[in-house]
Amino acid sequence: MTRNMNRLYLALAIIFALVYLFPLYWMYVTAIKSGSEIFSYPPTFVPTDPQWGVFAHVWEIRDMGRFIWNSLVIATGTMVLVATLGTGCAYVLARYRNGWINLALFLVLMLQVLPASLMVTPLFVGFSALGLLDYPRFAVILAVTAKAMPFFVILVRATFMAVPAELEEAALVDGNSRIGAFWSVVLPLARNGVLVSAILIFMQAFGEFVYSKSIIQDVSLQPASVGLNAFMGPNTVEWNNIMAYASIYVTPILAAFVLLQQRIVAGLTSGALK
Amino acid sequence: MTQNLQIELTGVDKHYGGFHALKDINLSIPNGSFVALVGPSGCGKSTLLRSIAGLESITGGVMKITDEVVNDMPPRRRDVAMVFQSYALYPHMKVIDNLTYSLRLKKTPKAQARKMAEEVAATIGLETLLDRYPRELSGGQRQRVAMGRAIVRRPKVFLFDEPLSNLDASLRVHMRKEIRALHDRLGATSVYVTHDQIEAMTMADHVVVLRAGVIEQQGAPLDLYDRPASKFVAGFIGSPAMNFIPGRTNGDGTSVDLALDGQPTLRLGRPAAANQDVIVGLRPEHLSMASTGDNNFAVRVGVIESTGSTTYVGAGDRNDITVVLSDRRNISVGDRVQLAIDPDKVHLFDPITEAAL
Ligand SMILES: Nc1ncnc2c1ncn2[C@@H]1O[C@H](COP(=O)(O)OP(=O)(O)OP(=O)(O)O)[C@@H](O)[C@H]1O
Ligand SMILES: [Mg+2]
Repeated sequence: MTRNMNRLYLALAIIFALVYLFPLYWMYVTAIKSGSEIFSYPPTFVPTDPQWGVFAHVWEIRDMGRFIWNSLVIATGTMVLVATLGTGCAYVLARYRNGWINLALFLVLMLQVLPASLMVTPLFVGFSALGLLDYPRFAVILAVTAKAMPFFVILVRATFMAVPAELEEAALVDGNSRIGAFWSVVLPLARNGVLVSAILIFMQAFGEFVYSKSIIQDVSLQPASVGLNAFMGPNTVEWNNIMAYASIYVTPILAAFVLLQQRIVAGLTSGALK
Repeated sequence: MTQNLQIELTGVDKHYGGFHALKDINLSIPNGSFVALVGPSGCGKSTLLRSIAGLESITGGVMKITDEVVNDMPPRRRDVAMVFQSYALYPHMKVIDNLTYSLRLKKTPKAQARKMAEEVAATIGLETLLDRYPRELSGGQRQRVAMGRAIVRRPKVFLFDEPLSNLDASLRVHMRKEIRALHDRLGATSVYVTHDQIEAMTMADHVVVLRAGVIEQQGAPLDLYDRPASKFVAGFIGSPAMNFIPGRTNGDGTSVDLALDGQPTLRLGRPAAANQDVIVGLRPEHLSMASTGDNNFAVRVGVIESTGSTTYVGAGDRNDITVVLSDRRNISVGDRVQLAIDPDKVHLFDPITEAAL
């Protein structure tokens, strides 16, 4: 009875996964189809004549190296900024409990609710007033940091809460300062959670679009997401090239996720200990 | 070097917001003594210990360690070591690194720290476990590592918070002796929290009984046993617990009538106030079963439990009078027996204030 139920659930899970992953598959397949095969009816699920050269071609004509580099700069900058500021914040929110902390937590959650497209106008005006628009990638890093911070803080706070306060107290009695105890006991135990959350932030920032599109006018500073959007003009027919672009853009992230997925899942669910 | 008082608390108060957790604690702990803090759950034992460690800040009074006021001193400057109930071993460090953690903080040269840790490990039987992680140890071994981590620092004061409560009964008895022997060998001052009065009685020089944040009584273990200051202490110290029977003193105050079938009368060792209601306290081990003799009263046997060496008898109308016998008797449930007691061992308590009379 339960065996059959388990099989049913497994089958359902596989079906959902297939439905969910189909667009990804379609992206890769479309990328290597020839122009005529893309529009053939009925569509082919396995390309008859794979065009492997399309990736190098697109990399070349769209100057993708520069776009990807900009994406990397923004993602790395955001991750470093979020991790350095957010870790301390998450720790305080995890350890000290009182009414003000609850209020702070509420505000942090509140920020998470506001959509980027709503925030972008006030941010744009503010950055412009501060002269930050002269360093548009940095401005985007700041904006994305603000947007990604709550998510990071909430994840990392849960990790810190899983570290027993007694370990920290033992370190204090053993002769350490609060900061020393944090570095030598709490942080190493929360390391997985912090790392995983930072990686998730990196991935999120790597694909960020709304802020980059509005804040970075100079094409040579735009990230790959904006480059992809510019590629998709209203009358485009170059679907294979666009899909090749998208493939190049997402494959490294996907690969990283698949390689790290066990640690990511473990880091998010099990907390820090045992 | 020769200061006599290691820890001195004067009028110490601790509030958690509106909750008054420690009330006017006065406690003097001489250098080299072993002090046990006992009391029921939630009475403030851990709070008091953690205040001495500096993990909680006190909200009133003065706390001194070796003549220095430490009210606002952070834990790391108090030179105290603490063994936690959960052991609180650093899970990401091997045993050896757990042991040397405090030494490394003191910038002890690496080789020397290692040597000191190895010496301590040898004295408590950890030498073969130095390269393991805490998760690879049994409960008893973890307990030893926690002890070792405290010992290796050679602190002024050891603080223990129920260190044996996660061990099985036989290991607990063994570690009891071992901790006391270590204390004597190191010549340290120890404060030991436990809710187990047997641990307190067997290990400590000085026992402090706490109740709801107040020191109910403190003194040498046998003093607390012989002269409990209140019904609470009388019931808490000693096992099985003291029997309490309502009664009333007679016209001349030299004897007391028990509120039992037939109003039996017991003579008192010391005269008490005449004609007043009292609670009579009789320790189970002081009651003997004597068919004749004086100062006895008759009860009906309701329960008999024998462990082989000791027989516990539950007697009286509600089987609430416990008697401990160390020899075997030919008695059975339903028998009426005579219980006798030495007049000097009859305790009297005020039924309202519960103070000893
Ligand atoms: N951080 C805190 N905030 C508020 N109240 C607290 C806090 N810590 C302890 N208390 C309260 O203080 C009282 C004493 O607690 P404490 O931990 O000292 O008890 P204990 O005697 O060690 O008990 P146990 O034997 O169960 O460990 C308890 O009533 C507890 O609820
Ligand atoms: Mg406690």
